[in-house]
Amino acid sequence: MGEPFDFTYILTFIPKLLSTLQITLFIVAGSLLIGMIVGFLIALPRLYQIPIVQTISKVYISFFRGTPVLIQLFLFYYGLPELLKLAHLDVSKTPVLAFVILTYGLHTGAFMSELIRASVMAVDRGQVEAAYAVGMTGYQAFVRIIMPQALAIAIPVFSNLVIALLKDTSLAFTLGVMEMTGKSQTLGTLTQHFIESYIALALIYLVVSFALEKFLKWLENGLLQHEQQDTSVRSTRLTLRKNISYRRIVTEMSTGKGGVDL
Amino acid sequence: MKLDPSFIWTAFWQLLSAIPITLLITVVSVVVGFVIGIVVALIRIYKVPVLHPIAVAYVTFIRGTPMLTHLLLIYFGLPLIVDALAVKMGWSFRSSSIPMIGFAYISFSITSGAYMAEVIRSGLLAVNRGQLEAAYSIGMTTTQGLRRIVFPQALAASLPNLSNSVIGMLHGSTLAFTVSVVDINAKAQIVASTNWKFFEAYLAAAAIFWGLTFLIERLTAVIEKRIHVYHRGGVA
Repeated sequence: MGEPFDFTYILTFIPKLLSTLQITLFIVAGSLLIGMIVGFLIALPRLYQIPIVQTISKVYISFFRGTPVLIQLFLFYYGLPELLKLAHLDVSKTPVLAFVILTYGLHTGAFMSELIRASVMAVDRGQVEAAYAVGMTGYQAFVRIIMPQALAIAIPVFSNLVIALLKDTSLAFTLGVMEMTGKSQTLGTLTQHFIESYIALALIYLVVSFALEKFLKWLENGLLQHEQQDTSVRSTRLTLRKNISYRRIVTEMSTGKGGVDL
Repeated sequence: MKLDPSFIWTAFWQLLSAIPITLLITVVSVVVGFVIGIVVALIRIYKVPVLHPIAVAYVTFIRGTPMLTHLLLIYFGLPLIVDALAVKMGWSFRSSSIPMIGFAYISFSITSGAYMAEVIRSGLLAVNRGQLEAAYSIGMTTTQGLRRIVFPQALAASLPNLSNSVIGMLHGSTLAFTVSVVDINAKAQIVASTNWKFFEAYLAAAAIFWGLTFLIERLTAVIEKRIHVYHRGGVA
């Protein structure tokens, strides 16, 4: 299969693959943005238990969590143009990248909404009641009291989601997008040095996901600073209990993306 | 081109024949991954010298790279290694006699092993240290203590994550089409290639996956209810 193994090819492939890293990161950033907006919109009806809309949210989440992202990619790529044609919209000129970002965005949105819901639920009920007691409106209570606390709880799982998304984007090549995986296949075919190009690819993914993880960890430390100040003042028994409940929350919250990603 | 609902039904029936392959890949990778996971998790918890850094590197590498790259690396790399070994050792075995699905089994097992290791490790860490100490105090050996006392509790604690991993592997098995294994996803492509009704075929595939995922979730809920019987309060 191909040429004999040659280590130097790995070194020459890395810069070539890095030139397509921006497309991968662009897909990640774009779908993360869509995912956060969609996730928020999907989570709100479930948090405030609005009838009917709540059921739609549930079905949406169940569908996007219940089907492989690869199937979703094909569904949107083949299905969306036909559906839009019924509405007399021609999207045949739209770049494939748009479909890819939309699909990943909607996919991430489902997981994001579960994350948002779980972290808002993890904030003590008494916090909202206290906010109402001092005369805040529902909006004020959400933005000023709930959101900062929920955000701090959500960050660890959020970081898992981002890394899972990064790894998922390797599937975009199936629709012919020239991101890193697609590029590595082309390089392999051109030079017949498949294994070297995939090793280079794996190395880049490893470094990028490691860097992302470190960055989000740093962000988390910044956001959780108030918790750390708290615990140093409290007695050890309370600290212990707090840590346990925090861990329980995080494990209960695992959106399903914490497990295996593509 | 209009949506053809009747073809969804036709495709659905044709796709049913590919379900066993998808399930087989999932079950093999989950079971082998579970065994790898237990070994790796124990190595990491007991900090076995030499093996410990290898286990950490394995988990970090697998979790930091997409499942697709594992499959491609195994698919292109394993034959090189096997053939080189065969020549050196004088085996008659050649890499070409490995079936395509074998590459999927090996690579997905390696992938799920790393994720399982993390799931099992967090489950083991969730069990109170006092449980093992109590086991020692009534005269159990470490193996007995782990098997009879710690593992049952750890499994109960990690059940939700385990179920997520199984669903993840089920969804990941769609990648098998890259090494020309005909699973549900590849079958959908084949079914649609004659008349270009890709959308209908993938709708049917999505429905099947949705159903399978739903079944796994239901099953987990039933098992969870049984396992957590001892958690109930009250006197009865």
